[in-house]
Formats: sequence, structure tokens, C-alpha cells
Amino acid sequence: MNNQDKLKLSHNIALIAGIFCAAVALLLLLNFWQITKTDPIESKALEALVQRLKDDRNNEELKEEIRNFDLLARKAYFNSQWQVETGAYMLLFGAIVLAFALRVYYAAKSKIEEPEKVLENEIASRIIAQKGIVIVGAAVMVLALLASYLSVNQLKSYDATALVAENETSAEEAIEVINVAPAQTATNEVSEEVAVNETTASENVSEVQSEVASSETVAETPVTETKPAAASSGMTLAELQKNHNSFRGPLAQGVIMHKNIPTEWDGAAGTNVVWKAEVPKHGFNSPVIWGDKLFVSGADNASREVYCYNRNDGKLLWTGVADNISGSPATPPRVTEDTGLSAPTLTTDGNAVFAIFGTGDLIAFDMNGKRLWARNLGVPDNHYGHSSSLISWNGKLLVQYDTNRGGKVMALDNKSGETVWETQRNSKISWASPVLAEVDGKYQLVLTADPIVAGYDVETGEELWSVECMMGEVGPSVGYADGIVVAANEYARMVAIDIRTQEVLWEDDFYLPEAASILAHDGLVFVATSYGVFVCYDLKEGELLWEDDFGSPVYSSPVFADGKVYLMDNDGVMRIYEFSRELKKVGENELGEMSGPTPAFADGRIYIRGEKDLFCIGK
Amino acid sequence: MRNQLNQNKNQNSFGLRIPDIRHKLKYLLFTFAFFLFTFNLSAQKQRFPKPEFDTGYTQPTPVTPEPRALAMEYFDVLVLLLVLAAATYFALKSRSRQGILWLSVFTLVYFGFYRNGCICSIGAIQNVALTFFDPAYVISLTALLFFVIPLVVTLFFGRTFCAGACPLGAIQDLVVVKPISLPKWLNKTLGLIPYLYLSLAVLFAATGTDFIICRYDPFVGIFRMDAKFLMIVLGVAFLLMGMFVARPYCRFLCPYGVLLSWMSRFSSRHLTITPSKCIQCKLCTHSCPFDAIDFPTNEKEVVKSGLGPKRFITYALVIPLWVALGVFVGAKSHTFLSKANQDVYLAELLIAHPELRNDPDNIDVQTFLASGKPMEQLVSEATAIREKFYIGSMIAGGFMGLVIGMTLLNTVVFRKRQDYEPHKGNCFSCARCVDYCPVEK
Repeated sequence: MNNQDKLKLSHNIALIAGIFCAAVALLLLLNFWQITKTDPIESKALEALVQRLKDDRNNEELKEEIRNFDLLARKAYFNSQWQVETGAYMLLFGAIVLAFALRVYYAAKSKIEEPEKVLENEIASRIIAQKGIVIVGAAVMVLALLASYLSVNQLKSYDATALVAENETSAEEAIEVINVAPAQTATNEVSEEVAVNETTASENVSEVQSEVASSETVAETPVTETKPAAASSGMTLAELQKNHNSFRGPLAQGVIMHKNIPTEWDGAAGTNVVWKAEVPKHGFNSPVIWGDKLFVSGADNASREVYCYNRNDGKLLWTGVADNISGSPATPPRVTEDTGLSAPTLTTDGNAVFAIFGTGDLIAFDMNGKRLWARNLGVPDNHYGHSSSLISWNGKLLVQYDTNRGGKVMALDNKSGETVWETQRNSKISWASPVLAEVDGKYQLVLTADPIVAGYDVETGEELWSVECMMGEVGPSVGYADGIVVAANEYARMVAIDIRTQEVLWEDDFYLPEAASILAHDGLVFVATSYGVFVCYDLKEGELLWEDDFGSPVYSSPVFADGKVYLMDNDGVMRIYEFSRELKKVGENELGEMSGPTPAFADGRIYIRGEKDLFCIGK
Repeated sequence: MRNQLNQNKNQNSFGLRIPDIRHKLKYLLFTFAFFLFTFNLSAQKQRFPKPEFDTGYTQPTPVTPEPRALAMEYFDVLVLLLVLAAATYFALKSRSRQGILWLSVFTLVYFGFYRNGCICSIGAIQNVALTFFDPAYVISLTALLFFVIPLVVTLFFGRTFCAGACPLGAIQDLVVVKPISLPKWLNKTLGLIPYLYLSLAVLFAATGTDFIICRYDPFVGIFRMDAKFLMIVLGVAFLLMGMFVARPYCRFLCPYGVLLSWMSRFSSRHLTITPSKCIQCKLCTHSCPFDAIDFPTNEKEVVKSGLGPKRFITYALVIPLWVALGVFVGAKSHTFLSKANQDVYLAELLIAHPELRNDPDNIDVQTFLASGKPMEQLVSEATAIREKFYIGSMIAGGFMGLVIGMTLLNTVVFRKRQDYEPHKGNCFSCARCVDYCPVEK
């Protein structure tokens, strides 16, 4: 191939490649324009169809038309995207060929150039360059100055207005004390409440016995009235046990002292349903009971509320709204649907009922719905939503507040909401709830999170012990019995810890709970997995005693009551097992509604919160 | 005549013909690249494999490439070292334009299309800047080495990195078709832009605002084939322009080029046009597409021009004024510049338009609200960032003032030059000019 052929060939190739590149570039531009114009989600035709459907909701033909149109629009959109991508590759290929052909062309065309006799006048060029540099430099400076004079410092205007308002608010940790009733009066009121309880509910409520009736295999219950009478706002442990004042009952251990608990019902048919009441706002918190009053809470993005029902007839007595709380976010944090904004269970000390929401709002109402105090603990940085329940002991409201910003536990004064103590924890975020454990006459608050299971002095908040054994997103609260703490979490492990020596007695990682808390009682441990296996272990040895694989998901926690173990699954089916080292199923009852919360118990009654309604089961 | 010259030059001292070595090296490089592709597929497995749902959904490609195995990162450093060594060898020892050309092809394939333009020495400026100003940020050893190694090599051997080891340079170099010569004054004036870009890039990186060099890299979208449309247009525009104005990004934008230019000026073993003594044949005068050849000084003209010591002293005395002006402008423009920061932008947006809190379509605002972060905290963080900008903008402004002053001063400095020599600061060591020199070693 001589030079002339080379020139001709490279010229033709360059020409073809150039035309090809121009055509592809033009098509790409058109395609790009088409993509910007035909956003399938913003389609006006689709909007018009959807609007028509709003007027004629049952028009199946229209629905099908919308689906087809939507599919078509999406196909067209993604097809255009594919075309752009393919076009880009083609353009690149064309550009490479063009560049190569041009290089060859110019190389073949090049001749030895005769050097120019007169070269660029460097001096003149430098003088022009000086002007150019000064002009460009000055232009940059002027443009920057112009931009600075045109831009407004909005941050300063915020400082001028908002900071003043902030200074005006109370520096008292954003505690809003609305109306604190005198202590004496409050106590009197509670006494009256209790008295009223005893009279109104006496027909249904029998005396709480100090010992659990034993079945063949069940030993005597260690927790009795003979224990030291620790006080909770003047209430004895026995009085707490008469009620169901927190998540999983007294001390949050899942051990209930009430008797005559029903074992058969049918929520849909109304069999053994004493009453059923709709809860205005949704929430995954469990009912708590004091006397004849039952409390739950509910929330959505619009508001957060506390509901008080008469537990005898299901009548809604009052609704408390958690609003106008200093520090509360204007828009609630984003939470997942399976957690919501009111997952934490309330607690009550008989004088007041306390509720916390996913916004960090903590509020106290008296038993008649009068707001006592409210404060915001800081919006919890929690990707699912805050779910740790409250518990009260000895005049203190105990809050486990493990968020993505670190872990902490705090005690607030029940009457004023002021912080009594606060302890920073070496833990990550968790969703578990605090459990009270009695150790040699003193009470500890036992918490679990990634990576520690730890005990705290209820009076001072001092961390008494901790064992590094957990990991992951810890949801299940610990079980406690016979001086042994059992903690577990899915994808981690189950660990039994001697609370006095912190010795790890045993551990297992086969069946692990995701959300359901652990029930430990009288030598046995019960674990419910989220994939529907209920398992019983020996508390001291960790030996697997039995398992029931029923296959439906469980978020509710197992509870011991009346010699049996009650376990509600998410479909609203409650399975009842004998508290035994062998698997003995007593009953299986349907609620007729989905359910996630853990039921509350009273003598002869079970209170179950379904997806919409609150059920009172009994005779 | 040139063919003959080249043939002679291509014979090395061991009697081996350079084209043979090049030919072998070319295949060696491609074989090596092929093995690298296949090996890396297995080495770059994700820790947790993606679930295999049969939905036909294609997972979108992330904006930045997925993290690379550490060993592979070190391997990249090794490749950089080898490419730099080869580029230096071709530029200084064998004086082979062909060698550098094929090395550029390899660099484009490896660091460009295969490594998706990341990691790159130009972008590493920002990592280094952030390391100095953010104690919480720890620069990776690879990024540090990618920043330091080319500078060190340039300090001794000139900008051989630009010649054959930079994918951005390579892609532009390969499309140079018919370069036109720009007048010196235009080169000098446009030469201010890289300094401005460098100062802004360091300012934004140091304040944790953005890595603008990476964000506005015109070629990375081509390497990854997934850039936004406008960036593709920008990249293609640069390449089209580059067919006639050679390496426009390297000459008039590249912030790393500023540092390399500084280093190169001190290089003791820089590429020379002639291997021996210049015979003043002027054949090389138009060989450089980057206008980086300095001509011999015409002393008579210099004396006549009046650009002598008087003007030098004037310009030298004006430098502090330029710096002061720069500091003043920087201080004034910090509010404007800090608006590029996401936190500052969001805080000001919410202060100026509180009603946007109720706009469900404003993703920035909704994400902030969902995070639960109080407004006070956002404003306080934004204020802290703006304070950083206040200091940073003053430094950047002062730096720009100094650059303008020094560039002006440079226009009245004449170095006595008798031959045609590459400008050490601007020369990319591409070795095009060596082919034009008829002088034998």
C-alpha cells in the first residue's frame, strides 16, 4: 500500500466514522430528550387515568388499563435507557476509529515542514500576557466579590431569631412541668383508686395467692409475699403482682401470679370474649393494668395518644394527647411499619401512667388523664423506631435509651420527670426492654444490647456488672430466674449468666429469638423464634427439653401464668403449653385478628391487643 | 532522512532493535492486562453475595467503584511504579515516542477503563487535603502513594507521569490529530485556571464539602460508561477540542499539573529535545502540540523591550497587594462558597423556606427530618463549617493573589537560553519532539 492509498483509505474511514459518530450523537441527543420528557412516574396520561379511577374505584377495566399503561411507560423508559447506554458504547467505538483514522491520515499527509523564519515575537506576547493575566485575575476577583455581595448569610438570620426563642425556654433540660399534684393528694387518690378497684372488680378478681399452684412437674414459685417488701411509690411487690403494671407484668419478667386464666376462646366467634373495643390509633405496645384501669398507647404521624379503658367493660375512660412538648420534633422520625411510633409499652406506679413514643416524647398522666409532666429525651436515632418499654420502681421511671448515638440508661423522678441519675453505657443501639431482678434483697436493672448484658443499681445507676456476649440488633429482653440471667439474640447466641459471679453457665446458638423476649422461670427457659419454633431449655444446664415447630412468626413474648405458658403468634393464634419439662399443649385459640403485643393478665382474664381491637378474654 | 535517523536511533547498545523490544513489550502488556482482568474477577468478590432473586432486576452500578481488595490496591501501586519507570525509560533513555504511545494505551486501558479512573493521582490531592484538616479522616496508603510517587519521580525526571501514566492524559493524547499552536499570551492567561481549580478543590476537600475534582472529572464518565449525560457531553467536548487544542484538560484545568509543574522545574534529568548539542535547525519548533518548547532568548530584543529590572521591581512590590486583595476577596466570598456544602445549603434552605418541611417531594429536607436531628444542631454544624470556609477562603484567595502576582512577575523574567529547550514546567515528556531532532547521540 503506497502513501496515496493510505491517505485515501484513512480519509474514507475517517469520513464514515465521522458520519457514524454524528448520527449516533444525534440519536443519543434525541433519546436523551425523549427520556427527560417521558418519565413514567410523572406521566400525565397515567395521572389522568388514576384520577378517573378515584371517581370510579371499582372499575376493573380501568385498573387493567392503568396497569398496562404503566407497564408500557416503564418498558419504554428502560428501553430508552438501554439505547442510550448502547449508543454511548457505539459512539466511543466510532470516536476511537475516527481518531485512529485521522491520525493515520495526517501522519500520511505530513511532510517535513520548513521551519518558519519568523517566530512568534516573545516580547510582544509577554506584554499581551501581562494584560491577559491582570484582566483574568481581576475578573476572578470581581466575580467572587459580586457573588459574595449577592449571597445572603441565612445562618445569621436564624441565630438572630431562633436563639432568642431558645433562651426564653426553660433551661431545665426541656422538662415541661404542667401541673404536678401535691404528693399527698396523689397518694390519696391512688389509695382511693385501689379501693374502688377492690370493690368494682371484686366479683371478677380473686385474691392473689402467694404461691403458684404446682402442676405435677412444677416446683414452688420462688417469688412470694415473703420477699422483702420493696416499695414502688409506696406500693409493695405484692401489690405490683396484683396488677400488670409493665411489659410482661411485674418486674417485666413475664411471670404472672394471677389465677383462673382462660384457656379457650374464639375471638372471631366471640366465644369467651368479655368485651372488644377498638383502639383509635395503632401501636405495638402491650396493655398494662392497674386496678380496673387498662392503658395502651397509639400514634401516627399526626399525633401520639394514651388511652385508658375500664378493664371490666372496655369503655374508653380518657384519652391523653402527647403534644406541645418542648424539644419534640415537628415531623416524627421515619420508622418502619413493623415498629411504629408507639412500640414501647407503658408503665404505671398506681399514681401515674407513663408513656414514651418514637419521637423521644415521654409523658406522664395521672390515673384520671390529667397531664402531670412531659419532656423530650432527644429524638432517638433509631432506624426501625424506638421500642424499649418503660418500667417503674421505687418512685423512679427507668428508661433504656440505646440509640445509634450510643447507649444510656436513666432514671427519672416519677412525680416531676426530673433526671435522678443517668448512666452512659458501652453499648450500641438496642430494642430490648429493661428487666428488674432481685439479687440478695436488692434490685438491679438488667439490660441487654450489643455487645453487653449488664446490671445496674436501681438507686444509683451504677453499673454493677457486665458481660460482653451479645451482638447484632438486640430485640429480645432478658429472662431472669433463680439468680440466672438468660440473654439471646438472633444471629448471635443465647447465654445464661450467673448474676452474682457473672460466670457464663452455658450458651447455645441453635434456636434464637428475633423479637420475643425470653421467659425464665423455676428451672426452665422458654424461647420463641420469629420463624415459629417454641423451645424449652433447662435453666441451669441449657439442655434442650422440647420444641414445638408451628411455623408462624412470633414477635410477642411468652408469659407464665397459672401453671401454663402463653404464647401469641403474629397471626393472632395463642398457644398454651403446660409449664413442664415435656411438651404438653393445652390449647390453641384464635383471636381473629393479627397480633404482635404481649397480652396482659388479671385474675380470670387475658387482655390481648390485636391489630385494631383490644380484647378481654374471660368468662 | 527521518526514517534513517530513527533506524539509527532505534539500535540500542546491546545490538537489539528497539522496535522488537517494543513489539514484545506491547504483547507483554496486553497479556498482562488480560490476566489481570480474569484474576481480579475472583479477587474482588463481595463479602456477602447478592441474593439471587429471579426478578430480572439489574442492580444499578454505584457512583463510585466498589472497594477493591487491599492486595489489589497495592498491586495498582506496583503497576503505577512500573508504568512510571517505563515512561521515564522511554522518555529519557530510549527516547522513544512509540514506546510512550503504547504505554499510554496500556494506561488508558488499565487505569482508565479497567480501574474506572479510580484511584487517580489527581483526585488524591483531595484525600491528602482532607487528611490535614479532618482528624477523623485517615487517608489510605494507596491514595497517599498515588499522590506522592508521581511527584517524587517528577522531581527527578520531569513529568513522565503525564506522558504515560495518567489515564486522563492518555485519552487526550491519543486523540491529538491536528494540533494548533496557541499564542504564548493565551497559554499564560489560561494557565491561571489550574491554580484556581486547585485552590477550590483543596478548600472544598478540607472543609469536607465535596471532592470536586472527582465529581467534575470529564473523562471518568467515559471510563465507566455510566456518567450523567452532561458529564458525557463535557468529556466528549474535551476530546473533540483535544483533537485540535492538544490536552486541554492537562494544560488548562488539571490541578495536579500545578504540583507536577512545580516539581518538574527542579528536575535534574529532564527530557531534552536533542540527545547531544543543538544545531539550531529549528525543525522542532512546531513539534510540540502543547507549546512547551522555549526558544533561544533574543537578548537585544529583551533590552529594547523595557521589560527589565524596573518592571521586575514594580511587579515584585505589587505581589503583597495581590495577596492582600486575594485574602480580602476570599474573606468576602466565604459565604457564597460555603453554600456548596450540603449542611450549609440545607440549613439555609430550611431557614429561608421553613414551609419546605411540609413538602414531601423535597428529598433533602425529608431525609433531614427523618434523621431526627434537631434544627439547632444542623445550624450549629453549618455555622462551624462556614467558619472553616472563612479561614479557608482567605487562604485560597491569598494563594490566588500570590499566583497572579508571581505569574505577572514571571513575564518580566528572562532566562538566558541559547537552544531550543522544552519548558520544564509545561513539558509533558511525551517525546514527540525527539523524533524531529536530526542530531544523533
